[in-house]
Amino acid sequence: MSISDNLKDHILDSIAEGVFTVDKDFKINFFNKAAEKITGYKRDEVLGNFCKNVFRSQVCYSNCPIAIVLRTQNNLYDFESVIKTCVGDEKTIKLNAAVLYNDLNVPVGGIVSFRNLYEFEAIGIDLQKETFFNGIIGHSRQMKEIFELIEEISETDAPVFIQGESGTGKELVANAIQKLSNRKNNPFVKINCSIFPSNLLASELFGHVKGAFTDAFKDRPGRFEVAEKGTIFLDEVAEMPLQMQIQLLRVLQEGTFERVGESITRRADVRVIAATNINIKDALKKGQFREDLFYRLNVIPIVIPPLRERPEDIIPLVKYFLNKFSLFYKKQITELEEGAFEILLNYQWPGNIRELENAIEYAFVRTIKKNIIESAKLPVSIIEGVKSPPVKSTLTFFPVSKERADLLFLLEKNLWNKSKVAKELNIGRTTLWRRMKKLGLTNQ
Amino acid sequence: MKEMLGNQYFMARNYPAAQGEFEECLVKNPKNKSVRKKLIVCYTQTGRIKEAIKFFNELIAEDIQFIINTNPVTDDCPCPELVAKIEGQGIFNEESLDYCIVLGIIWLYCDISKSLEYFIKANEKAPDDETLAFTLNTLERYIDSHPINKHIV
Repeated sequence: MSISDNLKDHILDSIAEGVFTVDKDFKINFFNKAAEKITGYKRDEVLGNFCKNVFRSQVCYSNCPIAIVLRTQNNLYDFESVIKTCVGDEKTIKLNAAVLYNDLNVPVGGIVSFRNLYEFEAIGIDLQKETFFNGIIGHSRQMKEIFELIEEISETDAPVFIQGESGTGKELVANAIQKLSNRKNNPFVKINCSIFPSNLLASELFGHVKGAFTDAFKDRPGRFEVAEKGTIFLDEVAEMPLQMQIQLLRVLQEGTFERVGESITRRADVRVIAATNINIKDALKKGQFREDLFYRLNVIPIVIPPLRERPEDIIPLVKYFLNKFSLFYKKQITELEEGAFEILLNYQWPGNIRELENAIEYAFVRTIKKNIIESAKLPVSIIEGVKSPPVKSTLTFFPVSKERADLLFLLEKNLWNKSKVAKELNIGRTTLWRRMKKLGLTNQ
Repeated sequence: MKEMLGNQYFMARNYPAAQGEFEECLVKNPKNKSVRKKLIVCYTQTGRIKEAIKFFNELIAEDIQFIINTNPVTDDCPCPELVAKIEGQGIFNEESLDYCIVLGIIWLYCDISKSLEYFIKANEKAPDDETLAFTLNTLERYIDSHPINKHIV
């Protein structure tokens, strides 16, 4: 089953996220309505133009998002950038980028989706109160254990090492750690270590002095200096070149570093939170990640389980995303039909929460004149992905069903007060107890 | 992979990085004219003048119009800014052969008559250089067979 090009265009024009595509020469060949709204340009004004001449961003010259994907072979998510609108105003955006390939697996273009950061953050603030733990949604036992751990470590400055597959919310966990820490009112600096070529990463982390290399026109502090007295989040730390790992180890061990091209030793008082989505044991075995650095970073390890191992979290996440998109798109869709839930609950979610969010948004924009999302509106890849028998998670002993997740949601909401839940369901306490037992919810 | 990344580096005017990507790209597809056209510019900016003139001669022998018809705006050609930089900032010794060759190459992307002027100067400085003689001969033959261009000269 596939959808027509017209429908694809309609979907891309319906979403609130700006989307544009470029050919292999970086000339724009698609520009959706939201992109028009965010930038102020009309589609006809930008088609055929080089993207750098339209967006006029610094990153076009130093760190083009599509070039990062080409270099690293990994899609880019939540990359912050500043663009210029058609009238020359600067706008901060968050973007995702990917490369488009032809049948021979040769890159033929790129796609970028982007959002006006401040508009999106405003919605995020409205929704904060609906999340369960400092911006993180999680009902499952595994996530609750992580929340408890984050609270326990709030008094310490020890390094934290977060592991989790792509899309599991490592950055949200880092945000929560920082927000609860003693350094919460000091700078919080984030850097994705995988997107900088090795020669630039040293300059990004430790700064440089004028003349240190060709483009070093003036002195520039690095991220460690900017984060002084605060916290630095080193995302995808295991992608860091080995030479840089030695320098990072020195900062952790001695608290000192030098700017590139300078011999003055500077001190750093920075708490380090690092994260990776790769199998760290493999990286250690293959010598891609230094063992001494790992042990320095891994003082407080946090492993975020993939979504497929905590299906109880799917329904609250879905509810959250429906609320979010209702605010963003200004249309009220608050429910999914039963069949759609079954599909979501039985899909394996290799892209984790990010994939779930995208799937909900896709179905959301395809739902017109209804306030309930039907299963047919979900992405084809998800619908077809559950045709094969679902792989049973080792952590799930009871059938994954909407009934169980809904009941768990109510129990959580009412802090496991069974009288309140029974009243809300309009059933007796004994009936509730029987239902909980059947669904394996009595030991929670 | 290499061509698209090379295009981005070229667009960002990072000529050494673009050169590396384009060279790798030509290993797989040596006939790629678009890549060769940009690689010539990269070579002029990284000081590899011998390679620049070699690739330049090959391309003008094969399809001189592919360079002449470059549009500085729609092709994002850096040559106008490079000409301004080289002619105005004393990067090269103006009496040197390399100065004449680099400007001769770059001007062909914008103005064949200026290109010819620089290659005539280069030929005067190195009258026995067969490579330069070939370049000059190719440009002159093209101008002779295209009256509009002859008029410009």
